[in-house]
Amino acid sequence: MVEKKIAYTKKEALDFLANHDAYIVAGGSDMMVIKKNVAGYAPLFDKDVLYVSHIKELANIYEDKDGVHIGAIATMHEIEHHKLCPSLLRKAISEVASTNIRHFCTLVGNIANASPAGDTIVIDALLDAKVKLESVDGVRLVDAKDFVLGVRKIDRHPNELITEIIFPKIEYTGELWFKVGSRRADSISKISFAGYYEVKKNVVTKFACCFGSVSIRPARSKELEAKVVGLTLEELKAKQPQIAGDFAQIIAPIDDQRSNKEYRQTVAMNIFNKFIDDIVGGAKQ
Amino acid sequence: MEFYKSSTPKIDFPEKIRGEAKFTDDFELPGMLYAETVRSTIAKGKIKEIKLPELPKGYYWISAKDIPGENVVNIIFSDWPIFADKEVHYVGESIGLFVGENKEVLHKLCRQISVIYEEEKPVFDLVNSYIHKEFTKGDFSKAEKNAVKTIKETYETGYQEQAYIEPQGILCYIDEDDKFYLTGSMQCPFYIRKAVARALGIAPEKVRVKQPAVGGAFGGKEHYPSLTGSQLAVAVNKIHRPVKMCYERFEDIAYTTKRHPSVSTYEAFIGKNNEILGLRIRVKLNGGAYKGCSGVVLSRALIASCNAYVFENLDVVGDVYCTNTVPTAAFRGFGSPQTIFAMEMFIHHVAKELGVDPLQLRMKYLAKQGDITTNSGKFHDPIILPQLLDKAMEMSDYKRKVVEYAKPGSNKGIGMSLFLHGCGFTGSGESTIINGKVKLVKDENDHVHVYASSADFGQGNRTTLARIVSNTLGLPAEQCTMEAADTDHTPDSGPTAASRTIIIVGFLMEKGAKQLKKIWKSGVRQEHVEGYVGPSYIHWDEDTMQGDAYPSYSWGVNVVEVSFDPVTYQIKVDHCWSTYDVGRVVDERIAVGQADGGLLQGLGYGYLEHMGIKDGKFRNRSLTDYIIPTFEDAPPMETAFIDNPFIYGANGAKGMGELTLVGGAPAIALAIEQAIGHKVNKIPATPEYIMEVINNDKR
Repeated sequence: MVEKKIAYTKKEALDFLANHDAYIVAGGSDMMVIKKNVAGYAPLFDKDVLYVSHIKELANIYEDKDGVHIGAIATMHEIEHHKLCPSLLRKAISEVASTNIRHFCTLVGNIANASPAGDTIVIDALLDAKVKLESVDGVRLVDAKDFVLGVRKIDRHPNELITEIIFPKIEYTGELWFKVGSRRADSISKISFAGYYEVKKNVVTKFACCFGSVSIRPARSKELEAKVVGLTLEELKAKQPQIAGDFAQIIAPIDDQRSNKEYRQTVAMNIFNKFIDDIVGGAKQ
Repeated sequence: MEFYKSSTPKIDFPEKIRGEAKFTDDFELPGMLYAETVRSTIAKGKIKEIKLPELPKGYYWISAKDIPGENVVNIIFSDWPIFADKEVHYVGESIGLFVGENKEVLHKLCRQISVIYEEEKPVFDLVNSYIHKEFTKGDFSKAEKNAVKTIKETYETGYQEQAYIEPQGILCYIDEDDKFYLTGSMQCPFYIRKAVARALGIAPEKVRVKQPAVGGAFGGKEHYPSLTGSQLAVAVNKIHRPVKMCYERFEDIAYTTKRHPSVSTYEAFIGKNNEILGLRIRVKLNGGAYKGCSGVVLSRALIASCNAYVFENLDVVGDVYCTNTVPTAAFRGFGSPQTIFAMEMFIHHVAKELGVDPLQLRMKYLAKQGDITTNSGKFHDPIILPQLLDKAMEMSDYKRKVVEYAKPGSNKGIGMSLFLHGCGFTGSGESTIINGKVKLVKDENDHVHVYASSADFGQGNRTTLARIVSNTLGLPAEQCTMEAADTDHTPDSGPTAASRTIIIVGFLMEKGAKQLKKIWKSGVRQEHVEGYVGPSYIHWDEDTMQGDAYPSYSWGVNVVEVSFDPVTYQIKVDHCWSTYDVGRVVDERIAVGQADGGLLQGLGYGYLEHMGIKDGKFRNRSLTDYIIPTFEDAPPMETAFIDNPFIYGANGAKGMGELTLVGGAPAIALAIEQAIGHKVNKIPATPEYIMEVINNDKR
């Protein structure tokens, strides 16, 4: 018989996790679907369950010297409309699922379920966000980029609870969020892309980008990004085919029921090239 | 009559808004049990052995051995077994039911059962024809002989899922009159009654079928409930307790009937003055494992194969192929969306190839009153397609846009489809096969009760049919009520299908009401039954497919404007304009509801609704992965109706349920062609397909 616990404080939750290997449910928009039972019956959980959506101290969104902290049960809807939250994150969230789902699903839930098609994990990785994990043994911070280990695999120990995601403040002059879904709303990404850049005196001074849904984890290469930084816009334009060719190597799309490999590969690189065109053309997003 | 133009509130709205309407899954009866289906996991093979798990007390296994009557579902062609007995022919075919009170236990039993098969090689390609039809018009050999060249193209259309809001569900018990009582999500109560009677080997009068609130059907509930209804009746016959079975979305999408995928080849024989001397048309439909109603779907696909055009010489052949996949069956349009798509694309492509204006070429062959139809019958009634066209072009500014968007790099496109749809059953079937009846009962309070078996599944029949009666009698709408379809109390007015409800049943209502008006005596109970007498000039031979294919036709024009994103190959639908001749509109708001909904479903068919299949299993088994348009995808739609009253329709009204779907796919496909600058010969034209087309043409 599985044990189910509704926690009202962080301490209660951590104490429970100290001796239970449990599923953690916040909004439940993913978990309740994965563990769906026949209609009218409670979900089929095969191990203990900890419900965290009543832990008020995990609902905060605030800023300090480390950046913007988004609590584990802050809903996507709250984040979408919160001025402190990074604009790329808010843009991405505005296209996640549907309005009603965004009212209960959470940002932390999105990284915890680690679906290759997750939208906000692309932003987490791009903006160098840190995942804060707490347990009775203490606190651990993990780079969001490394937190997702594979399809539905994350770097969380059984006794840990993700309490927040922290976005350091990054300044830049232009950004792009691009989601390719099957329709205009309520759609799972076939491809997603996020990027930002800074151009000063005709020279690229900051450059970062990350692809989603085209590999098992968000695809980002700081090494390749570093090669773009320092180029003049003319050099960037001249080297665009070569740069795009390099970035094309970091994604590995697949065929599935939603799309195919060729389409994902081609369109991902079309979007990348659009991003470079935007930089060269001086477009402000 | 101005009255008809206005709109009345739909009478089912208050109960639905308040959540009071009772759908199948809302019924709870004392001692009621549930059922879950055990399905074949392979596409083809023999059942060697069924190893049942140990059944808990109060749980039952129902299979072919429990059927007292015949093990077939009574459909037009009865080849589909209620339960697979010795062999299975598709993944998902029903082998039996587990019945009991706890759905969780049933689900577990379904996973514990072990069916041992001797697998055989399944067929998924269109190679085994099991229905063949053909006919000619004029003298095709002459067209062949005189042609200076030919133009030939092939078109493909995919599966389409009905995606009604309420999945399939049915409930059966033995009532106080000792009858098998069924209620469920359905279109045709009398079909179910007949099927259950045959399954149980009893008289149809021993079965009663009543329609509850139904959440959409689109053809998907025309025949399938005859299967599930028969299955439950067999279970109830054995267990003697009420049994309910409601599918979940996954089960519904994965295993219930869909629209027939098609491959059509059109070949035009061109004369020396660039005229089309004749067409050779070859249509292939994928019927799945069982024939069911596919013969009629093929018939109607072939009848519509020249759409709204008239050609002198035709050679038309169609086949339905048996494959080891889920049987395909009725879906709004019933064969014609496939061929109308092909014909609309073809005439456009022929015009381009001949270097003439596509609109001019279409006008040249447009059907006119008195013309000989595809099946050598006659277009008896006035045809106002030119007015519909003019109006649609004016509303959409078509002529300017079609030139402007042709400029390279505009990434915009505008497409226009012209189309017809036959109303009612094929040929003289309304008089010779269906012979529908309706009943009007005026009670002592002068309230009129309207009885017909036409089911309301959201499209508004209960409102419109009652309204026809109240209008005719000159009564306020609230003094007239249409009762729910119930085989014990409503006469058989025929199935709720084939765009026949308003033109046929509505016509009966009007005639009946006129009769009632003549004999009207206030304060006295009076009853009148009206039977169908159709136009005497309609003659049809089903074997040769010659004659008048329908009592009448409705007509329409759709104009669709799209934008193309060259980065993602995605299409955005910007705006739609439509004009229709549905005879005369009964209730404008309900008519617009049909028009907008039908067009959106047709657009979805044309560019979004991809259903993949691999090894006989559908891949897009949820509404997350099977993409129907959302409100965000729905463009602004403007619709106009032009009156062209039909003498055998209710106050001139003809059919419109299916008409509004059939033009959507070709209109959007033509718009996409213009926006991308490449031919579209396959639907749905998904971004993946568009990319492929552009890349192939580059090579």
